[in-house]
Amino acid sequence: MPTTILMSDFDLPTRSASGYLLRWIVPRLEPVHLFAALARRQPFVLSAPQSDIIIGSGHGDVDVFTGQDEAAILEVGKYDPKEVRGKVIKLLSCQTGVELGPDLVKNGCAAFMGYVDDYVWIMDSDLATRPWADNEFAAKCLMPVVEGINALLDGKTAREALDIELDGYSRNDEMEEDELIKSCLKFNQRNAVLLGDESAKVRVRPPLLLPFRLFPPPPIVLPIRL
Amino acid sequence: MASSKEEWERYQEALRRGDRTAAAEAFRRYQEAKRKEGKGSSKPTLVNLSTRGKAYLNAVPLDKIPEEIERNPEFFELMKRLGTKEKG
Repeated sequence: MPTTILMSDFDLPTRSASGYLLRWIVPRLEPVHLFAALARRQPFVLSAPQSDIIIGSGHGDVDVFTGQDEAAILEVGKYDPKEVRGKVIKLLSCQTGVELGPDLVKNGCAAFMGYVDDYVWIMDSDLATRPWADNEFAAKCLMPVVEGINALLDGKTAREALDIELDGYSRNDEMEEDELIKSCLKFNQRNAVLLGDESAKVRVRPPLLLPFRLFPPPPIVLPIRL
Repeated sequence: MASSKEEWERYQEALRRGDRTAAAEAFRRYQEAKRKEGKGSSKPTLVNLSTRGKAYLNAVPLDKIPEEIERNPEFFELMKRLGTKEKG
């Protein structure tokens, strides 16, 4: 079963969030990645039914998760349940835990992980072409997300994966001196939700191979809205 | 000169009071204190993954946060939830 991974990339927040998935998650996965212009509904419809896990980063609201240029990917009442049935779904997006997450679980999704308020962090916009190099700001919030997703791909349960993400926020909060970054960490931590079967798992993927640990991807030269 | 931590506490107080002007001014002082502590940096920007349907921007450079707090009540509410654990 392939992974469905959606990574919209058209403005600063999507560049930063998707950049971390490109750097630390994508090299572990089968080579079908819905990045940038491919992060749209039709490619998703073809890929999702065959997948055991759906990972997405993109803008969202209480009832919708969107892809490139905010094209709707999953919206309450506007998707086929077979796209989500039996799958573990992780959405790095705003507020999808309020209505969309419960709707996905109602339609057979095994477990849903998302957030019930905005997902907020600080990024260095000077690093837009190499978002994964933003260790001073974005990594504080986004690496716990990466660690949680990697735990899922290592065979951990949804509950264990979420706990790893939450522990990551706590760890970074303890070490952080910047009050605004600390606020973001606590905010994202208290808004993270897990719905459905907490013991749900997905097929174990191979670990990140050594070359990918050492070498980041080339800079992203696609234009974004500033 | 107050420390950035003290200025942050004043900023949180202003958020709790619902005073946008005072919150914006306190955030300016917080950033100034951080710069004096040598913690300023390249081009930090506060970002979020909400849709364009929201009445606030997805990306606000930190030096523009005070004027955005003053100008936009929705952004103020987001910063209040972020900075104080209180619902907007």
